[in-house]
Amino acid sequence: MSLLKPFSKLPGLNTANILLVESEEQFQQSLADALVEETSVTVNVRLAKSLPLPMENDESRPRIDLVVFIINLTSELSFQSAEASLKYLDPGYFLGKVCFMVTNARNASSPAERLDAVRKLASSLHCPLLFAEDQTPDGVASATERLLTILKVAAGLVPIATALYVSNLTRCTLPLDIDLPSFD
Amino acid sequence: MCGSAYKNRPQPNYCSCVVPVWVNERPVREILTCQSPRTTRTHPRTARRRPPWSFSVARTPTDSIMAQRRSKNKSYRQSYRSCLGAASRLSHTPGWTARRLNTSRRTKSHNITEKVNPEDLALLVKTEWQLSYVTPLYQFRHTQLRSYSRQLSAFITAEKQQGLAVEVEGAQTSFRVSFSAVQGLGETDDDAETVLLQIHSKPVFAGKDEAQKLVWSGWLTCINGNPEYLHLLPKDFTCLPLFGSRGAENLTSLVKSWFQQTFDCCFGPLEINQTCLQWLAALWTNCHIESSIQHLKMIWTLPVEPPLQITYTVNSQDVWELWNSVRNPSLESREEEEAARSIDIEEVTRFMQGLKSHFYRHFRLDLSAGRLSQVSSALGSAKFSGRIKMSNSRYVLTTLTLLTECALLKMPI
Repeated sequence: MSLLKPFSKLPGLNTANILLVESEEQFQQSLADALVEETSVTVNVRLAKSLPLPMENDESRPRIDLVVFIINLTSELSFQSAEASLKYLDPGYFLGKVCFMVTNARNASSPAERLDAVRKLASSLHCPLLFAEDQTPDGVASATERLLTILKVAAGLVPIATALYVSNLTRCTLPLDIDLPSFD
Repeated sequence: MCGSAYKNRPQPNYCSCVVPVWVNERPVREILTCQSPRTTRTHPRTARRRPPWSFSVARTPTDSIMAQRRSKNKSYRQSYRSCLGAASRLSHTPGWTARRLNTSRRTKSHNITEKVNPEDLALLVKTEWQLSYVTPLYQFRHTQLRSYSRQLSAFITAEKQQGLAVEVEGAQTSFRVSFSAVQGLGETDDDAETVLLQIHSKPVFAGKDEAQKLVWSGWLTCINGNPEYLHLLPKDFTCLPLFGSRGAENLTSLVKSWFQQTFDCCFGPLEINQTCLQWLAALWTNCHIESSIQHLKMIWTLPVEPPLQITYTVNSQDVWELWNSVRNPSLESREEEEAARSIDIEEVTRFMQGLKSHFYRHFRLDLSAGRLSQVSSALGSAKFSGRIKMSNSRYVLTTLTLLTECALLKMPI
């Protein structure tokens, strides 16, 4: 089984590795561009369209500290592919090393039901859910900042805070009226 | 692989390897790891901003850490929930409006030709309307429709004559507006009566005796609105959330600005979103036995470069068989209930999934990657941009119920 395991390799010194999974492969490019600008830590960014990752790269791949699933809310396929990729992650990742990032949440063509479904997924897995705006450089910059904050904790570079501890604070919570029945 | 965009990047002096930016997890390409330049000083950007949960290194007793964490938990959660109450399309204060469309719908066809004036009905069907949502109108009285007609025609004439230095002779381009209430087009007593607007005017180069022609028409309606919401409104407000218009765009904007001035309401564009279009496709297919839909045509847009538009037309008999096969088995066995059974959102989703997987099997294109932008059949057509056409008077009420719900959801109150 080609599960991605969180602790099977040794970490690098002052290094953080992040894996961006997106089925459209667009936002991850600009996000990766911005992520490597970080100077206090060496950030290695790896991109993938979906999991499982190819076996050929297994030896050369470093230990992945944070897996980010980028979901475009205007496309059903994006959500389905992210859901399908979840089973190829070792359960150890869900203790604070997985994050969901959602784009186009305010777009008129993205139905509210899909956002609710993503919220339910993120809260059932105890993962943070970030909203990002991918069209402007400002949006990319702010998404990068937030990812870097979580990444540094997940890579163990922040003293005292661990990924599991922080995930307790940042995990997605469902609003009380998410299952509010409608006009009946 | 790393193009000229990276020429300006400062090269670290300890390492001579060139820096392509990222690693793609594909086995065929060479793997080149990327490294950001390592510096010993802290970057000024990161030094200023500290993550909200960074703790100082000094030890604190364990009890206060627990208390601190608990309060941090709660305050974080509270702020998350309070930002859900912000005015955005996705969140409404719970209790006022619901968060999503109805998950099940009754499918009775209503023969409203005897209840409604046939002329009004003929105006409503067979034309394509552009939809908007309207917030509740303040002090709108159905008894004062004639004075509203006069006020609106005076307003439009005044706006049209703005900027004209010389008064044009006579009432050549004067507008005659008529407001009329359509009786019988509602189901419950809570709904306000539908109001029809028509604007007649002589064409610009008409002869002296030519009659005025209809240049613009519109309607305001509320069919089966949420009764809780309607009861929550203060007494002076009339809720007519759905507005349809057909005609010149400048007349539409004049009418809207008059309404905004007179009744302190807001107009906004109403898109018919994906779920709503899928509901319409299912509802129209369901009516196939009573009145044939002839075909079900769907237009999908796929986000590729250049954008691909796919027109997917299904024969009515085939789509009827598909629809029947995804229906839930009926619990009642009475004959009359057959026609009035309710449809659930799961049946609609299965129906659309069936259509998409059929397409995938033949063309290897997954339509879930794109979005549905238009649905049409012999019973009507609906576009994502908010244009709706109802061609059969029997299904006007069901369609308008669905659209009223969409309008109520999109309204910012």
